[in-house]
Amino acid sequence: MSKTKRIASISLLFLLMIPSFLFALSGEEIIRKMDAQATFETSYSTGTIRTTDRFGTKESTFKAWSRGASDSLIEFTSIAERGQKILRTRGSIYLFYPDAQELIRLQGAALRQSVLGSDLSYEDMTEEKNTLNDYRVVLNGSETVNGRDCHVLTLTAKSRQVAYPVQKIWVDKETYLVWKAEYSTAQGRLLKEMEVLDTITVAGRTLGRETRIEDKMKRDSATWMILDTLEVNIPLDRNLFSLENLTW
Amino acid sequence: MTIKLPAVAFRNVFRNLRRSILSAVAIAVSAMAIMALLALLETMESDMEANLTSFYTGEIRIRHAEYEQYERYNPLHLSLESDSVINAALTVEGVEAATARINFPANLYLDGKNNGVMAVGVNFDTEQAFIDFSTLITKGELPKEGHNEIILGSILARELGLGVGDKVTMLTSTALRGSNAMTFEVVGIASFPVGGLSTKTAYMPLDRAQYLLRMEHQAQQVLLLTKDGYNERAVAASVQQVLSTSLEHGTETRAWKDLNTMYSYLSIAKFIYYVMGAIFFVLGSTVIINTTMMVIYERMREIGTLGALGMQGKELTRLFLLEGSFISIAGSTIGTLTGVLIIYILSRTGLNFTEAMSGVDMEISSILYPQVNWLIALFVWVYAIIISSLATLIPSRKASKIQIVEALRYV
Repeated sequence: MSKTKRIASISLLFLLMIPSFLFALSGEEIIRKMDAQATFETSYSTGTIRTTDRFGTKESTFKAWSRGASDSLIEFTSIAERGQKILRTRGSIYLFYPDAQELIRLQGAALRQSVLGSDLSYEDMTEEKNTLNDYRVVLNGSETVNGRDCHVLTLTAKSRQVAYPVQKIWVDKETYLVWKAEYSTAQGRLLKEMEVLDTITVAGRTLGRETRIEDKMKRDSATWMILDTLEVNIPLDRNLFSLENLTW
Repeated sequence: MTIKLPAVAFRNVFRNLRRSILSAVAIAVSAMAIMALLALLETMESDMEANLTSFYTGEIRIRHAEYEQYERYNPLHLSLESDSVINAALTVEGVEAATARINFPANLYLDGKNNGVMAVGVNFDTEQAFIDFSTLITKGELPKEGHNEIILGSILARELGLGVGDKVTMLTSTALRGSNAMTFEVVGIASFPVGGLSTKTAYMPLDRAQYLLRMEHQAQQVLLLTKDGYNERAVAASVQQVLSTSLEHGTETRAWKDLNTMYSYLSIAKFIYYVMGAIFFVLGSTVIINTTMMVIYERMREIGTLGALGMQGKELTRLFLLEGSFISIAGSTIGTLTGVLIIYILSRTGLNFTEAMSGVDMEISSILYPQVNWLIALFVWVYAIIISSLATLIPSRKASKIQIVEALRYV
């Protein structure tokens, strides 16, 4: 092949590859899309938390509201926890108990306490969807999960303020749903595993309808979080996520 | 040879008074130390018994059969139907009183921080037979049934800056494996004999604890007291049998001595201390052995003379043994009486272990008041005499083996 032809071939090959370079997503972009697809202007849902441990199975029901990526309110409707609420707003988590005359503000290690004895922590249940604020991202290729082609990403915490210093997540390439996640310590010890077992499509977005979480620090324990209903972008009272409303 | 050995031995004791006093003092010090130690041990044992049966286990404790297996998870759902259990237990001969309790770990939420406590739900009426709260309350009053009221240990209240009239929110896990919180008013402050209780506990009415923990009509444990003259283990067995027919689930019904490991260790320690006592006396007896040997060497010619006059070897042994015994009796008597005096003084002033026991979770009171126990005094007195006297046997027998001719020539 003459020199001219060789240069032309290489240039053509490079030109053909440019689109793939241009359209290949970075880890950060995947995370942004992942957070965006799970975030609605507003939402209202009802669901069940089912926990199985050495003593048997326990079910708790709830109603939940959210606004954007930061505000969420959960109210438990099952008899054992009736009236108890969890509010996340302005970066803090508050608990309301009907028989307590004050709100309980959770801070520090208390955020990692279990909700209703489940494998979910308060932080897990009310987490803000601003992953890039807290984590650096590395894209580690692709894998298939539940028949779906997924990006595999490793998230490393930027500070010690987060519950999980390292996360490995499998994000659907089409829907940006997190199918599976492994949460670990900085030394690599596995803390929790999450897996989506069933999905629901709302407003063109795919979300986990049934999610299984396993706390690896507990023996013989697993929790299923099941969404029974989900409505999005509905009008919500502006004061719904206020501390005053929490006590009503 | 006709000789009144006891009279001679008694006179010989005064021949070198300083040496005899030295020997007696060594035995007295040992006797005094052992007397004080055993009295203290006895006091610790009875104090622990009183604390255990009052604050922790009663004389008999009844729990769900599976509770112990999962105890570290605080399985409140493994509970007892309190009224049924109490009514059934009270039908058993030998049961004097019964009360229901719920012990549960909780947090007092103050200024945004959680402070761990051990909360106890009790029926203050039936508790009277177990804990005399009226003598423990230093400020305020007892909580009333049906009211969200608590009393705090005095050290806990001081550390949290809480007083009578203050309100505090308590968070805890419930029997339904959820969580709950309730705000209580502090109506009383109590000072418990066991420092750990004053540092960590909060008492509330049983019905409020049942409401907080979602344990309606349930209790974590039922405690019993037995009538005088009844064996706790036998009564526990009878109660277990009655409950096995009346309840759907099994129970763990045990006497308090079978529950507390620390009490068992104390009982074992008592035996070890008796052995140590013997070692103490042997050590104290080395002085008297030494002085007796010195006496023998000093009175060698005298021994030779006595032998020449017809005193047998056995009589010589008995003579020196008697001398040693008289010194032992004197030393033991002085030592025992001094020990009794020390115990008597301590029974008035008390032994304050508050600093030493801080941070230590033992069911022994912070301040102990040892009591004079005349049986122990008698035991120590006899023990000291026997061991010290036997110790003088060694040099005394040496005296019997001395050759008369050699002894007479001894310079």
